[in-house]
Amino acid sequence: MRLQLELGKAPKVSLRDALHGAALALLIIPATAQAQSTPSDRIDVTSLLYGEQGRTEVVEPVVRFTHLLPDGQSVSAQLAFDVITGASPSGALPSGTVQTRTSASGHVITSKAGQIPVAPFHDERVELEGTWHKPLNRLISSDLGFHVSREKDYQSLGVNAKVSTELMRRLLTVTVGGGVSHDTVFPTGGTPAGLSDGTIVKLGSNAKNVTNVLLGASRIVSRQWLVAVNGTETLERGYLTEPYKVISIMSHVNGTPIGELTDKRPSTRNRSAVLLSSVYHLTDDVLYTSYRYYWDTWSIRSHTIDLKYRHDLGDDSYIEPLLRYYQQSAASFYTVGFVEGATLPDFATSDYRLGRLRTITAGATYSFRPDFATGEFTVRGQYMRQFGNGSPSNAIGIQRNFDLSPPVNIVAVVLGYSFDY
Amino acid sequence: MIAQPLLHECSDPLRSTFAAAHDRIRRGATLLLLLALTIAPCAFAKSQERLTQAPDFSLPGASGTVSLHDFRGKVVLIDFWASWCVPCRQSFPWMTSMMNRYGAQGLEIIAVNLDKKRDAADRFIEAFPATFPVVFDPSGKTAEGFRVEAMPSSFLVSRTGEIIHIYAGFDPGHVQTIETQIQEALSK
Amino acid sequence: MKRMTRYLWRFIATAALLLVAGCATVQPWDRDLLAEKKMSLNPSPMLQAVDEHIYFSKEASMGGMDAGGGGCGCN
Repeated sequence: MRLQLELGKAPKVSLRDALHGAALALLIIPATAQAQSTPSDRIDVTSLLYGEQGRTEVVEPVVRFTHLLPDGQSVSAQLAFDVITGASPSGALPSGTVQTRTSASGHVITSKAGQIPVAPFHDERVELEGTWHKPLNRLISSDLGFHVSREKDYQSLGVNAKVSTELMRRLLTVTVGGGVSHDTVFPTGGTPAGLSDGTIVKLGSNAKNVTNVLLGASRIVSRQWLVAVNGTETLERGYLTEPYKVISIMSHVNGTPIGELTDKRPSTRNRSAVLLSSVYHLTDDVLYTSYRYYWDTWSIRSHTIDLKYRHDLGDDSYIEPLLRYYQQSAASFYTVGFVEGATLPDFATSDYRLGRLRTITAGATYSFRPDFATGEFTVRGQYMRQFGNGSPSNAIGIQRNFDLSPPVNIVAVVLGYSFDY
Repeated sequence: MIAQPLLHECSDPLRSTFAAAHDRIRRGATLLLLLALTIAPCAFAKSQERLTQAPDFSLPGASGTVSLHDFRGKVVLIDFWASWCVPCRQSFPWMTSMMNRYGAQGLEIIAVNLDKKRDAADRFIEAFPATFPVVFDPSGKTAEGFRVEAMPSSFLVSRTGEIIHIYAGFDPGHVQTIETQIQEALSK
Repeated sequence: MKRMTRYLWRFIATAALLLVAGCATVQPWDRDLLAEKKMSLNPSPMLQAVDEHIYFSKEASMGGMDAGGGGCGCN
């Protein structure tokens, strides 16, 4: 009911003010209790519903508990569960006729003439995360964290740490952090040799180690403006190949796919990113902008621009439209396919996510505190569209007639609920 | 001279990974040094000598104007606060208890509110009723005069108008010390 | 490419310098807007994490995560 009043810009000022006051009292009184006795704990629940047109669907519920201690420390634990079903492009090229093949997991894949073949899959993932935040003194704080995640053919164990300090009369915050993660990849049915017909060369697991460092500085520029620069460096070592992806071999006569080879990627990758961000308070609304430049040793370069505009509809609700633009160049070993008889390179992939790619995202978040319950509800809806390179220059024969990277349409909805208890 | 490594062109094709890592570290260190040098003048420009005498003020309160000079001969705790300041939610109830305990012995508390909007301050007072005068300075001029460095900040002023102690921020772990210092000031 | 990376580092250095350069200041009692939760670099960390997860699986980039800052500046 309050919601309607606020949306309708209630003309009765006194009523609005009364509601305003009531809302503030609600906000402040538990805080008093928090300040004087035991601090309140918090539960955040979110659920992602994700769908790609004709491809993958994901459902991901997440629950997070945060326990606040009186001296400013906090500990939190987060449990996430993913269910992923559907089909994803195998990397193979379309043919002029109906294609049928058997996937690594034993599924029979049929793809229509002229359409890129997709491989069905089903996976479930469980992840547990924990963090401990501790102020070391008035100006310095530290964070320690760990994560454990497990899915059918992948496991990840990691720890991370971060220290932030406020400088220059607390106008500048400098953060230094880092983390290590030890991952294990155990492909279903064994690990195939790279750039082979799929011959299994290993039945056990493959290691992948990830190290990352973070250096960040944020500066309060004015009463309304906060800016930040962050740099991250991530080093990946080990098995970085996607065991289920393939690369087509095209007939040199007409481009028809006549065979497939497995994907093979280098065993090292250094990824660097610089993020410039700004938060500007327009005394009611807030504008968030950021730009990220990313580069890695696989020759991928990317630009990301992110815009969000938060408009408060009252004390308890807001709407926040968002726009994002992303653009990446292809990995140096990305190829649309091999022409039969050609000499093979050291590494190759036809995974469209390592090709030239653009993503546009538009969406909005709506958040409110309802009358019927304590806590805050959030709904975020996003529409994404990915554009690859549908007509690469090295496509030959019939491949020139097909859209080799049809746009991917994605809808993602996140539902969230947070409350203190 | 410090900027030299940044501008230095190094194009040895046989540079080992070790040298590259070394180069990266050197570049990082240069960056930090430059940052430190840029910050330094600002950091020093702001450091001023300590205030000894409480600057007088007259500010509007809920029941008329309050002037510091009217409190001569009393021990005054001047507290600068705002509704958005989280630790102020703890300091308000504490100040009420100090007032109840030492009011009869001559302790006075003046809470100077620095909110830009009066209604935000009024709502705070409604939630945390004060038994001491609250005055309003939306311009922040008084806080500037007292060289307030944190929110909240309290100044313990002696019967002769001297600032005896400055408390930047409110830490519940320090209330015992502050109380002792109030007792000392009252005994003089 | 190495050259480009070097230029990039120089660009970052310049941006960082501009960021902290100058003595633009905000008084402790003027941090009312900055104290608001919405005035942080990442006001909804859980939503942000979901987005990062999606983009990480659909794109080739990662990193540049926020490190925090701003805020009330109290105590």
